[in-house]
Amino acid sequence: MYRKVNVPFELYEIQILTASDEELARISEEMGLALNVDEMKRIKEYFRSKGRNPYDIELQSLAQAWSEHCCYKSSKYYLRQYLLEAAEADYVISAIKEDAGVVEFDDEYAYVTAFESHNHPSAIEPYGGAATGIGGILRDVLCMGAQPIALIDPLFFGNLDTPYEGLPKGTKHPLYLLKGVVAGIRDYGNRVGIPTVAGMVFFDDSYLTNCLVNVGCVGIVKKDKITHSRAGGPGDLFVLAGGKTGRDGIHGVTFASAELDEKSEEEARGAVQLGNPIMKEPLIHACLEVVEKGLLTGMKDLGGGGLSCVIGEMALAAGYGAEVYLDKVPLKEEGMAPWEIWISESQERMMLTVRPEHIDEVLYIFQKWDVPATVVGKVIPEKITRIYYKGYKIYEMDTEFVTAGPEYCRPYISKKPEKELHEEIEPPADYVKVFMKMLSHPNVAFRDWIVRQYDHEVRGSTVLKPLQGRMNYETHGDAAVIKPTKSFKGLAITADVNPWMCKIDPYWGAASSFDEMVRNLVAVNAIPHSFNDCLNFGNPEKPERMGEFVECVKAIGWMAKGTAIPCVSGNVSFYNETPYGAVAPTPSLLGIGVVEDVRKAITSDFKGNGIVILVGETEKEFGGSLYSVVMGQRCHRVPRTSPERLKAYTDAMLESFKKFEVMACHDISMGGLAVAVAEMSFGRGVGFEAARELSFIELFSESNTRWVVELKAEDAESYVEFFKNRGLKAEVIGYSEGEMLNFKTFAIGLGEADKAWRRGMSEYLV
Amino acid sequence: MERDEIRVAVLRMEGTNCEDETVKAFRSVGVEAESVHVKQFYSDMIRFEEQRSIFDYHCLVFPGGFSAGDYIRAGAIFSARVKSALRKDIEEFIKMGYPILGICNGFQVLVELGALPGFDEDRPVSDKPEMALAINDSSRFECRPTLLKKESKKCVFTRKVNKNTVMFPVAHAEGKVTFPSGKEDEYVERLLSNDQIVFRYVDDKGNYAGYPWNPNGSYFNIAGICNATHTVFGLMPHPERAFFGYQVGKREGYGDGYCIFRSVIDYLEKL
Repeated sequence: MYRKVNVPFELYEIQILTASDEELARISEEMGLALNVDEMKRIKEYFRSKGRNPYDIELQSLAQAWSEHCCYKSSKYYLRQYLLEAAEADYVISAIKEDAGVVEFDDEYAYVTAFESHNHPSAIEPYGGAATGIGGILRDVLCMGAQPIALIDPLFFGNLDTPYEGLPKGTKHPLYLLKGVVAGIRDYGNRVGIPTVAGMVFFDDSYLTNCLVNVGCVGIVKKDKITHSRAGGPGDLFVLAGGKTGRDGIHGVTFASAELDEKSEEEARGAVQLGNPIMKEPLIHACLEVVEKGLLTGMKDLGGGGLSCVIGEMALAAGYGAEVYLDKVPLKEEGMAPWEIWISESQERMMLTVRPEHIDEVLYIFQKWDVPATVVGKVIPEKITRIYYKGYKIYEMDTEFVTAGPEYCRPYISKKPEKELHEEIEPPADYVKVFMKMLSHPNVAFRDWIVRQYDHEVRGSTVLKPLQGRMNYETHGDAAVIKPTKSFKGLAITADVNPWMCKIDPYWGAASSFDEMVRNLVAVNAIPHSFNDCLNFGNPEKPERMGEFVECVKAIGWMAKGTAIPCVSGNVSFYNETPYGAVAPTPSLLGIGVVEDVRKAITSDFKGNGIVILVGETEKEFGGSLYSVVMGQRCHRVPRTSPERLKAYTDAMLESFKKFEVMACHDISMGGLAVAVAEMSFGRGVGFEAARELSFIELFSESNTRWVVELKAEDAESYVEFFKNRGLKAEVIGYSEGEMLNFKTFAIGLGEADKAWRRGMSEYLV
Repeated sequence: MERDEIRVAVLRMEGTNCEDETVKAFRSVGVEAESVHVKQFYSDMIRFEEQRSIFDYHCLVFPGGFSAGDYIRAGAIFSARVKSALRKDIEEFIKMGYPILGICNGFQVLVELGALPGFDEDRPVSDKPEMALAINDSSRFECRPTLLKKESKKCVFTRKVNKNTVMFPVAHAEGKVTFPSGKEDEYVERLLSNDQIVFRYVDDKGNYAGYPWNPNGSYFNIAGICNATHTVFGLMPHPERAFFGYQVGKREGYGDGYCIFRSVIDYLEKL
C-alpha cells in the first residue's frame, strides 16, 4: 500500500487507487489520519480524476483540513441553523469568518476577541497544554493586527477530594491537573505580559477523566490597521515568522478530534506542543510594528494543522493559490520528513503575506527583534497549492478540494428532564450547617490561590480587578474592566457557564449561562456588547451527546437574538469523552461589555451603612443548584429565563445606575441570594441584617435575572419605585451593617462564614 | 535642565513587558520618554536612525517583566548583556549624577548588575552582585496590592512623596530581598546609615508585618533600596500601576505612584 519514492529524502506514494475499503481504513489508522472510510473514498475519487496516487504529505494535509477541529464537520450544520444569525449587529466588523471576532469600540478603535479550548493537550500534559493554549489564543488576536490586552481562562476539573485509589487508569488527579494548568497559564501569560483578568474554575466528577481548559483573549486595534487572514494578490510573498518548526505538535488536531483513553498518554505526548513565551513576546512587538507601518497584505497564525492549514486558507480566501518551498522552513531538528514539516504545530509561528517591495523592511524589523522570519512561498493566480522540496514537486492539489471539508447532519436525541427526573426539594433541617457547606464548596469558595498567581495588572490598564474590597481580604468581582485606549471608555470581561444546570437540562442550562454572563456585565455597569462561545461536548457520533450540543446551541442562539447581543467568534470542542464518560455539556461563554466611563464601574463589596435591595423575580428553581447538590436532593427544574425579561431588567439596571448612586452590585448565581449577599459582605467585612424573614426558596433558589444592589438609605424608596414603574420587581431585603450575616431565618457570625469561604478551595492546595 | 529637554529611556529586550505603561507615566509628567531596545545601544545590524547612546538620555529605566524569560536567576541575562556591552557607560552615567530606576524585574537587573546596593561611589557597578531577590516565601507568584512606608529622605525618586505610606501593587515570584547569609544585619546597618532603604512593607495600621503584607518574606521588610549616591533606585512594587487614579479605584487625580516619577523629574530639572 505504501511505495517509497526514489528521492533523496523520505517520501511515500500511498496506493489508494487500488485499495479496498478495508485497506483504506487501515491506511487512515496506520498514518494517524482519523478519517473515516467515506472520507477516504472521497479522496480516492479525487486522485482517480487526477490519474495518480497521493503522496503521504497530501493525505496528511487532507487529514488536518478535514478534522473535526479544523472544519467543524459535526457542528457546522447546527451552528448555521441556530447561531449564525445571532452574529449580526451593525457594530460588528467581522464575525465568525476569521480567527477572532472584530467589533467596533469607538470611532477610532475596534476590539478583537477569541475563545477556544485546549482540552486534550491539557489532560495529557497540563502545564504545556495550558501554556500553549494561551499562546494560541494570543496569536488568534494578534493576527487581526490587534494588541492583546487581556486573557481569560475558564477551567473545569474533577472533584478535588477524589481519592487517588479511585482514579481510572491513565487519569491524572484533579489536583495535579489544576496545579499544572494554573502554572502553565501563569508562566506563559505573566511572561508574555498580558494580564489574566477573568475566568472561572469549576469542579465536577464528569471532568475527572477529561478536564477542560478554555482560553480567551481580548485585543484592541485601530480600525484602519485591522489585518485579515488573506493574501493581497499574486506575487505576494509568504513570510514565516517566529519559532522554528519541529516534531512537537504533530497530529494535534487529529488527536483533539477523537476520544482520549488510557493509552493516550504514551501515544499522544508528541501531539502536545511546546510553548516559548520569550519568543512570543518579541513576535507580538514585531508583528504589531509591521502592521503599524502598513507593510503587510495579510496575517494569520499557525495553529491546528500548522503550515498545511494556513497557507492554503490565506491564498484561497483571496481567491488565489500558493507555491511553497518547504525546504526553506527553519527546523528545530534534522531528518524531518516533508509531511512532518507541513503539518507540525510547533508554537510561536505567524504567517505574513508581503508585497515584494516591502520584504526587506519586514525582514529588518524581525531581525531587530531577534525573531526569525523567512520567505517560504508566494501567491499564484490559479487556485492550486504546490509544494517543492529540494527541487522536487511533492504536492499538488486544488485548494478548494482541500479546504472543502465534509459536513455532517448528525442524528441527535434531546433530553426531556421533566420526564426523566422528579422533584424532591425540601427546606434544610439545619440552615447554618447547609449554608456553611455551600460557602466552603470549592465551586463557590474564594479563588485567590489562583487569581493572585496571574498578573492581572500588567499593562497598567486593569481598572476593575478580579478581586475587590479591602486590601488582602477581598471578594470576587463580577467582571473585570479594562481601559484599552486613552479615553475613559472601557471593556468589561466575564466568563460564565453553569455545567450542573447544563447536565440536567442542556437547553435551560445554556440559557441560564447566557443570563449569568449578561448579569455579570451589567453588575459592573457595562452595556452587554458581544460574546464568544467555546462549546465543549462529548462524542458527537453519539446521538445523546449531539442532542446536548444542539439544545445548548439552540438556547444560546435564542437568547442572543432576543437580546441583540451578537456572537462574534467561537470554537467547538467535541470528543471530550473517555470510556468512563463524557463531560457535562459545557458551553463556556466569554461576555464583553462596554463601559461608558471606567470611573463609574461598580464593585461588588458592601461599603456599609446602606440599604440592600433585591432586583428580580425569585421562583422555586433548584435544578442544577448548589443547594440541591449540597443537600443531595434531585430537581429537574433548571431556572428559566427569557431574552425579553433579561433585556427589560438589563435596561432598567443600567438606567438606574445613571439615576442613583449605587454603592455596590453583585449578580445572584450559584448558591442563590444567601451566597451573593455573603460574598458582598466578605469584601470589606460589612455584615448583613435582613429586613424580614427570608424563606429557603428566597435564600437558595438560583432563579435567573437577579441582582443585589446596595444604596444609600435615602435612595432606597425611589429606587424600588423606579423598577415598579417599569413593571419590574425590586424589594428592600435588608441593611449592610453589623458583624453578622443575619437572614432572620438563620444567622451566623461574619468571621466564621468568611473563614469557611476563604478556605473552601485553597485548603486542598497548600 | 528644562523639563521639555529631559529625555528618558525605558530599556527593553525580549521578555520585558512593562515598558509601555512606564513610558506613559513619564510622558504624563511632561518629559520625552521612549522604549529603547538594548541592541540599539550596541548592535551593528541597527540602522543609523535607530542607533542610540546612553548619553542621549538623562534617566534610564529597567522596566518590569521577565527579561529573557528569567529561566535562570531573574534579571541575570539582561544584566549580563548590559554589563558586557555598556558597563563603562553606565558607570559614567551614574557618576555624572543621572538617575536610574529599576522596577520589579528591573530591580532584579540592577542587583544582578551590581548597581545596587551600590555602596562604592567610585565603582558604582560592582564586579559581583552583593544581594539577591530570592523566590517568595509562599513559593508562588504574588499579584497583590502592598503598602509601603517611605524611609529615605535622600533618594531622588521619593523626595516629593509627602505621604508616610503609599500603595503600589506587586506582581512577582522572586522578590525576597536576601543578603549574604550571616551578614544580614551588617548590610541593613550599612544601608540605614547611608539612608539607602527607601521603602519597607507595612500593614494597614502602618506596622512592619508578615505575609501577606510583606508579600515575599523580604529581610527587614525591604521593598526598595537606592545606592550610596541616592540616584539609582530599585523596588519590587510597581509605581507605574498606581500612577493614575483610575488604576487604584479613584475617580479623579493620580495614584501614589505619580510622586515617584514627579520626584525624579524635579531632581533633573534642578540638575
